[in-house]
Amino acid sequence: MRFLAKYCASACAGAIIALGAMGPSQAADLKIGALYPFSGGLALLGDESFRGAEMAVAERNAAGGVNGQQIKLFKADAVDANQAVGEARRLTSVDNVAAIFGSYSSSISFAATQVAELAGVPYFELGAISDEITSRGYKNVYRSNPTAKDFSEASLDALVKIIGPALKIEPKDFRIAIIYEDGLYGTTVSGFQKKRAKELGLNVVESLPYSAKAVDLSSLILRLKGAKADVVLQTSYQTDTILYFKQAKAAGFTPKAVIGVGGGYSLLDTAKALGSTMDGAFDIDFPQYATNEAGAPGMSAFVEAYKKRYGTAPRSGHSLANYVGAQAFLDILANAKSTDKDKIRAAVMAYEKPVGTTATGWGFKFNEAGQNERVTLYLAQWQGGKLITVGPEKAAVAPPIFPK
Amino acid sequence: MEILVQLIINGLLLGGAFAIISIGLTLIFGLVRVINFAHGEFLMIGMYMVYFLNLEFGWHPYVSALPVALALFIIGAVMQRYIIQPLLSAPADIQIFATVGVSIALLNLALLVFGADVRPVVVEVGTGSVGVGGYTIGIGQWVTFITAIVLVGALHLFLTRTHLGRAFRAVAQQRDAAALMGVNVNRIYILAFGVGSACVGLAAGLLSTQYPVFPTVGTYFILAAFVVVVLGGMGSMYGALFGALIIGLVDSLSGYYFAPDLKEVAYFSIFILILIFRPTGLFGLGRGSE
Repeated sequence: MRFLAKYCASACAGAIIALGAMGPSQAADLKIGALYPFSGGLALLGDESFRGAEMAVAERNAAGGVNGQQIKLFKADAVDANQAVGEARRLTSVDNVAAIFGSYSSSISFAATQVAELAGVPYFELGAISDEITSRGYKNVYRSNPTAKDFSEASLDALVKIIGPALKIEPKDFRIAIIYEDGLYGTTVSGFQKKRAKELGLNVVESLPYSAKAVDLSSLILRLKGAKADVVLQTSYQTDTILYFKQAKAAGFTPKAVIGVGGGYSLLDTAKALGSTMDGAFDIDFPQYATNEAGAPGMSAFVEAYKKRYGTAPRSGHSLANYVGAQAFLDILANAKSTDKDKIRAAVMAYEKPVGTTATGWGFKFNEAGQNERVTLYLAQWQGGKLITVGPEKAAVAPPIFPK
Repeated sequence: MEILVQLIINGLLLGGAFAIISIGLTLIFGLVRVINFAHGEFLMIGMYMVYFLNLEFGWHPYVSALPVALALFIIGAVMQRYIIQPLLSAPADIQIFATVGVSIALLNLALLVFGADVRPVVVEVGTGSVGVGGYTIGIGQWVTFITAIVLVGALHLFLTRTHLGRAFRAVAQQRDAAALMGVNVNRIYILAFGVGSACVGLAAGLLSTQYPVFPTVGTYFILAAFVVVVLGGMGSMYGALFGALIIGLVDSLSGYYFAPDLKEVAYFSIFILILIFRPTGLFGLGRGSE
């Protein structure tokens, strides 16, 4: 009897608390997942990318949120594809997010988007570049940034249109070596580079994959020397970029031009680690902070806001890319006025902005596969420890310099 | 021909780096019979110490190598006393779980505390290279190589000429008999783990001029170190040295003649062949210590 009374009392208490929690109705938060590598080897750029999305969300919340709803970001840490699947499942079925922002790494994105597509949750990719992410016929995966194909083609176009003329060398006379880390990033980019080189009739003398975790690249460099390569196109992360430059210098290997495609080449830390060894290296990348504002309105405002929020200058261009992409997708969510995936898709397809109107210089127009087609890529070069845009002319801050 | 010689030089020098890391690992395995999966993370800790000593006090890595080795001696000893010792009578799997656990914990602790940033030690001495007879020899690599040889020599002298060294060998050969002879086995284990960790502390100092430090740096070296230790014979220091030189040569030659991404295929294939045909390794005596 007493037990029953106690039971009733606690049941009543529970009911009252539950009713109290329902409270006066207020707009529930708009839940968005943020799936990035926050730990492990990719943590630096994963975190940097996340900061861009975080800033876009904070800015939007300060301006009233999306249709009156404040946005709540649910961080999900994915070190590799397995964890990405697990975290995507958690976000979609436990946290019930309306959409997911991500992911910097192509392999993580590839895995997580599969889960999101099956769950019918829109996935907004803000930074991963592997083309396959948006070419699987999925209906709910959208990407704001350029793809590996865009980067790869831009690296060869830059060689032909900017570097060749500056050096007064016929592009067909270059002996090109393509070296790349053997993961999804390196293989994808180099695959497109080889294809584009063939289309342009260029001479590729060596194509060498290597493990990003290598502790020694001296044999690779000897191969490049043996093949008399005078242009090196590298696709690499940070530690292998540092290793390559150090060992190339030690071996006395000085090609006329070294062109990186983002990754380790984008990072201030790489340049700090290498000092003057890195000066002269080219980089096809997300828009850099030293770009003519004419080509990228709002960029300096972003840098100021970043410094205020995080206390340092941006560590790479990834935060800016994620910021611009997140801003666009938040606009789209506001336009959709709903978290229904079909309404969101309609809003994505209807969203348009001309090239040169955002802080990265991008415009927006999504194709059927969900890929933004109005992306632009600039050629940057490390000069005096700073990454400076050197082409095309409209965006250039300084001309390219070459070793004498 | 010139290229072959340069490849051999590069390979041997790379072997020096592997050697200096593997010596500690093989010592710990030979004596304590525990595979220290956290060895790579000890290297990482050592390299962070070198980095901060350079940042705060301007000490050159070669100067801080000794204090860092000492610090790692203490860390290794502590790990043996408080983590491994209670598990000595447990099955080997449990000991492995313990060291793997320490490895994961240290790696993520470093990530939490220091962040994922890649931090280089920027110094003049110990970097760059010299040309000798038309070939290039990296200065940092050369110093590491010579130190590895000196270290093996020093450890050999220690193990054969000192009383403590003799105790080490006794424990490695037959633990219970050594205990019956009055050797304090637990104390020897603690010292051995400490010495093995001190070796990797020394490695940290030497490698800091060539490689930047970041939380996962240990993982870049540890797999090769395991191959070296198995190849050379677990517990054999000469095995570790020669195994390392062999692996360095394989790395360099296969990188050039096959492909840079197949280097690991080459040396893991060797690893498997050794395990099949000579599982105790090149210099292993089955249960030997040096």
